[in-house]
Amino acid sequence: MALPVQERWDLVDAIARKTVTAGIYRQNLGDVLGDLTVRPLTGIAVAVAVLYAFWSIFSSFAGTLVTDGFMVKAFDDYWLPWLQEVWPDPASIHYFLFVGDPLAENCFEAFGMLTSGLFVSIGVVLPAVLIFYLMMTILEDSGYLPRLAVLMDTVFHRIGLHGYAIVPTILGLGCNVPAVTATRVLETRKQRFIMMTLLAIFIPCGAQLGVMLEVIPDAVGWVMLFLLFGFGIFGFVLDRIIPGSNPEILIDVPPYHWPLWKNVAKKLVNRTKSFLKDAVPFVLFGVLAVNVLYLAGVIGALADLFEPLFVTWFGVPKETVGPLIAAFLRKDLAVAQLSAIAMTPYQMITAVVLVSIYFPCVATFVVMLREGWKELAAAVAVLAATVFVYGGLIHAVGILMGVA
Amino acid sequence: MTEPSKTLLMVGNPNVGKSALFNRLTGGDAVVSNYPGTTVDYTKGLLVVSGREYGVIDAPGTYSLEARDAAESVTVRLISENPGAAVLVILDATRVERGLYLALEVIERGRPAVIALNMIDAARDRRIVVDTHMLQKILGVPVVPTSAVTGEGVRDLAEMIRKAQKADIEKVRARADGRFNEPERSGGCAGCGLCGGC
Amino acid sequence: MNRNTSMVTLYIGLLGLVTLAFGLADILAWAGMIQSVSIGVLEIAGDDFFRWAWGGAVMVFGGLFMLGSLMSPGTMERSAKAILGAIMVWIIAGTDIFARLCESIPAGEEAPEFFNSVAGFIGGFAPPYSAAVLLLPFTLVIVYFLFNRKSDEA
Ligand SMILES: Nc1nc2c(ncn2[C@@H]2O[C@H](COP(=O)(O)OP(=O)(O)O)[C@@H](O)[C@H]2O)c(=O)[nH]1
Ligand SMILES: [Mg+2]
Repeated sequence: MALPVQERWDLVDAIARKTVTAGIYRQNLGDVLGDLTVRPLTGIAVAVAVLYAFWSIFSSFAGTLVTDGFMVKAFDDYWLPWLQEVWPDPASIHYFLFVGDPLAENCFEAFGMLTSGLFVSIGVVLPAVLIFYLMMTILEDSGYLPRLAVLMDTVFHRIGLHGYAIVPTILGLGCNVPAVTATRVLETRKQRFIMMTLLAIFIPCGAQLGVMLEVIPDAVGWVMLFLLFGFGIFGFVLDRIIPGSNPEILIDVPPYHWPLWKNVAKKLVNRTKSFLKDAVPFVLFGVLAVNVLYLAGVIGALADLFEPLFVTWFGVPKETVGPLIAAFLRKDLAVAQLSAIAMTPYQMITAVVLVSIYFPCVATFVVMLREGWKELAAAVAVLAATVFVYGGLIHAVGILMGVA
Repeated sequence: MTEPSKTLLMVGNPNVGKSALFNRLTGGDAVVSNYPGTTVDYTKGLLVVSGREYGVIDAPGTYSLEARDAAESVTVRLISENPGAAVLVILDATRVERGLYLALEVIERGRPAVIALNMIDAARDRRIVVDTHMLQKILGVPVVPTSAVTGEGVRDLAEMIRKAQKADIEKVRARADGRFNEPERSGGCAGCGLCGGC
Repeated sequence: MNRNTSMVTLYIGLLGLVTLAFGLADILAWAGMIQSVSIGVLEIAGDDFFRWAWGGAVMVFGGLFMLGSLMSPGTMERSAKAILGAIMVWIIAGTDIFARLCESIPAGEEAPEFFNSVAGFIGGFAPPYSAAVLLLPFTLVIVYFLFNRKSDEA
C-alpha cells in the first residue's frame, strides 16, 4: 500500500516533530570557515590554493624526491648497466625485447620490457599514483569535493553538466576507470554521455601526469591548458548537439570532518594494490607488444601510411605513430616513449596532447563498454572527430604563435 | 514469520554512512568517502550473528525509491530483485527527516525493516536529540542508534537484524497522530518490534 | 579589552598589507616587471609560472582575506577570514618547506650515494627563504590572538 507523495511528506513531518528535538547549536569557527569555502568569492580563492597545494606536493614528492632523487639513479646507474652486461647476445631478438637498445644510457631510451617497462611503472608512475591517491583520499574524506561541486556548478552548466561532474573529473585525474563508473551520479543519459566522452578525451590520468612531470616538466602547464580548453570547447559543442536535458540538482553538502587515518590508509593500500596488480603488467606487456610490432614492421608501415596526416595536419614527426599505438595500452607508457623522439618543444606539447585525447586506454575502454556499447560507439566517433579537429587546431595555434 | 531472512539490503540516503556501517558489520572493504555518490554499485558481504548468516548488500545511496539516476536505479532494482530480503534503512541522525521519507517507502512496500540511526555521535555533538523509543513505537520497526565511526551500537544492530519487522503504514499514520491504543496484535504489544513479533 | 582589539586589528591589517605586497611581488617577478630579488634572507626568484604566478596569486588572496576580515561584520566571520588568510600563507610556506625537504633527502644527481649527508640535509634549509616562509611565524600570531580571545569569552 503506497501513500501519495505529499501525504508521505506530511507523515515524515509529523513523525519528525514527535521524535527530533534540536537543541541550541552555536555556530563555531569551523562552520564559518567551511561556509567561506563555498561562497563564490572566497571559495574560488580557496580552490585555487587547494589546487596549488595539490600539484606542488605531487611534484615535490613524486618528481623531486622519489623519481629524480632515487629511482633515476637506481635504474640508470645500477639496474640498466647491470642488465646490459649480464644479458647475453645484444644483437638477439630477446635482447631487443627485454633490454632494448644496448647503447642506451638511461632507462627511458632503452625501451626494453625490463628497462623502460619497469622504470616507467615502478620508478615513475608508482610514486605518482601513491601521492596522488593520498591527497585525493584526503580531499574525499574531508568533505571538500562536494563543496567544489557547488562552486563549479555555474561553470559546468555551460557545458551541459552540473557541479557534481567535478567528482568524476577529479577521480579521472587519478584513473579514468573509476571515474567512468562514477558518472552514474549524473541523472540523464545526455549528461552521462557528455561526461564520459570528455573524461575519455580530455582528462589525463595520474600515471600519465607522473610521466609528463618527469619527461616534459616545462611543458606540463601547456598540455594541461590545451586539455582544459578542449574540455570546455567540446563540452560546449556537445551540449548544443546532443538532445536531452540537464536538470538542476540540489547538491547535498555533508559537514567537514577530519579524515580518519585508518580509512585513508585502507583506501591507499587498496588503490596501490590494484595499481600493482592491474597497471604494472599492462605497462610491461605494452612495451613488449610495441617492440614485437616494431620488429614485425607493423609500426614502420603505419608510420608511413599516416605520415601525411601527422606531418602536415598535426605537425608532428611520423615516429609518433608508435607511441599512439602504445597509448591504447597505457598512456603513461606512450608519453615516456614520446620523450625519446627528437622533436621541437611545441611538437612535443602537441604530441602529448594528442596522446591524451586519442583513444582511451584499454581499461577505460572496457568499463565504458560495460556502461553501454551505444554510448561507447558514439564516444569513439566524437573522439575521432576531436582528435582530428583539435590536433589541427593546436598546430594552427602553433603556426600563429610562430612556434610550430 | 516462519524463517529468518537470509539477505539484508542496506539502503539510505547518500553519505549517511552505509558503507562505513557495512564494513563494520561484515568486515568488508566497501569504499567510504565523505561525499554523496561514493557507492555507485553494490558490494556484498557476509554477516554472521548468533548463528545466523546474512548476505549483506551495500546499495548505492538513494533519496527515494523513484530513481533519479543510474546509481539510484541500482538500489531500486536490488529491492525488487530481492523480495525476501530484510531491509536495513540507515538514517543520518543529524537529518532524520530526509531519511524518513525513504524509510516510509520501504515500510509501505511491506518489507521487513530495521532502522539504524547512524551518526549518532555527530548528532550529539550538534545537540540534536532523537527519541529512539518514540520513533520505534511510531514506526513499529526496531530502531538502533549507531555510529559507524566509533562502533557504538553496531553489535546491538547486528542482534536486532533478525527482528526486522513489517509495519502497516496506516497504523504508522495513526500512531504519528498520537493514537497508540489501537490494538496492534493479539498480544497487545505496542508494536515496538522488540519482541520480534512472533 | 578595547585597546587590545584595536591592536589586533592593526596587526592583522599590517600583516595583510605585507602579504598582499609580497604576493604581488611574486607575480611581478614572474612577469619580468621586477628583477628577481634576493635581499638578505628573502628571495623572490620568479623563475617559474607555477610557483611564482600561481603561488603569488594565493599569497594575494591571503592578504586580501586578512584585510577583508577587518571589514566583516561579526566576530566569528572576522576571525574566520583572518584564519583563512593565514591558511593561504601556510599553504605556500608549507609546500615551499616540503619542496626543500624533498630536495634535501636525496644526495643529488652527481653524488654516488643515494642519501644526503646530515650536513648536506641541514644545508638544504639554509636561507634565503621565500616571503611566505618568512611570514609564517607572523601569521601564527593570529592564531594566538584568536585563542586568547576565546579564553577571554569563556
Ligand atoms: N561522525 C560520524 N561519521 C560517520 C559515521 N558513519 C560514517 N561516517 C562518515 O560519513 C561519511 C560517509 O560515509 P559512507 O559510508 O561513505 O556513506 P554512504 O554514502 O552512505 O555509503 C564518511 O566520511 C564516514 O567517515 C558515523 O556514525 N559518525
Ligand atoms: Mg557508500
